Amino acid sequence: MREGLEAAWPIALGYFPVAVAFGALGAQAGLGYLWIQLTSLLVFAGASQFALLGLLAQGVPPLLAATLGLLLNLRHAFYGPALRPYLKGGPLEAFFLTDEVFALALKALPGLLPEERRGYFLGLGLGAYLSWNLGTALGALGAKGLLAWPVLGEALSFALPALFLLLALPHLRNPLALLAGGAALALHLLGQTAWGLFLAGVIGLFGGRRP
Amino acid sequence: MTLALLLLALGTFLLRLLPWRGEGSLRAGQAGPALVVALFLVSAFSPPPSPEWLRTGLALLGTYLGARLTGNLGLAVFLGVGLYGLLGLL
Repeated sequence: MREGLEAAWPIALGYFPVAVAFGALGAQAGLGYLWIQLTSLLVFAGASQFALLGLLAQGVPPLLAATLGLLLNLRHAFYGPALRPYLKGGPLEAFFLTDEVFALALKALPGLLPEERRGYFLGLGLGAYLSWNLGTALGALGAKGLLAWPVLGEALSFALPALFLLLALPHLRNPLALLAGGAALALHLLGQTAWGLFLAGVIGLFGGRRP
Repeated sequence: MTLALLLLALGTFLLRLLPWRGEGSLRAGQAGPALVVALFLVSAFSPPPSPEWLRTGLALLGTYLGARLTGNLGLAVFLGVGLYGLLGLL
């Protein structure tokens, strides 16, 4: 588990400012600290948490807001099957399965011994989870001054694209991955990021099958 | 509101767990590589296209070179973050 925790720090670096922003936004929207923290503790999925917050603040009925948040997370359904050759999914593993944990695990797990994989994955997930929840707590408790230096918060948020670049490098000569990425980017530029990522998963899922 | 939170939490958890456990029901094909490339492009380039993309591109180049030179993923990310921050000061 220790190796996984150590490997998680680029994710933690990227999560932290986003989580502070999430906590601060929740506090600004008048939500109680407990509710904000519970969201990060129980959901652990950034985009859908922001969506839930924004939709509730706009007066959207709670169940509809939750359903829309779930639609944003549809892409997560592809992650487990992609990791299945390397690691059997249990409840704890699934709980930690964010975009970033998935991408880093997909790179690292094949190079580990089978008996090392679960501990590594859980360490990775735990490191990401701790950063996300610590950032949420600090933001919700009024520590948004941490990001008062705009350059600092902005620079830290670049950790995630930088990490994804390094994880994507081995796949940039894969025509199907490029097609899927191009489709996702096109929809992202049209403001449909969640559907773009879902489409990328579908392209990878079905495009990669042999008859 | 708490019900919405619980529904989102449970639904997200099941979306992650069930396809992972469903032996043979959903084969991943090349979904892994496809999603990793998609996540990279989507996270790096925010709409609309702007000069900010140049800063992002330069910082990504620095990240790549950092990875080639050091062979360390974490260090390369850190270098990229630093370069991105510096470029923001220009």
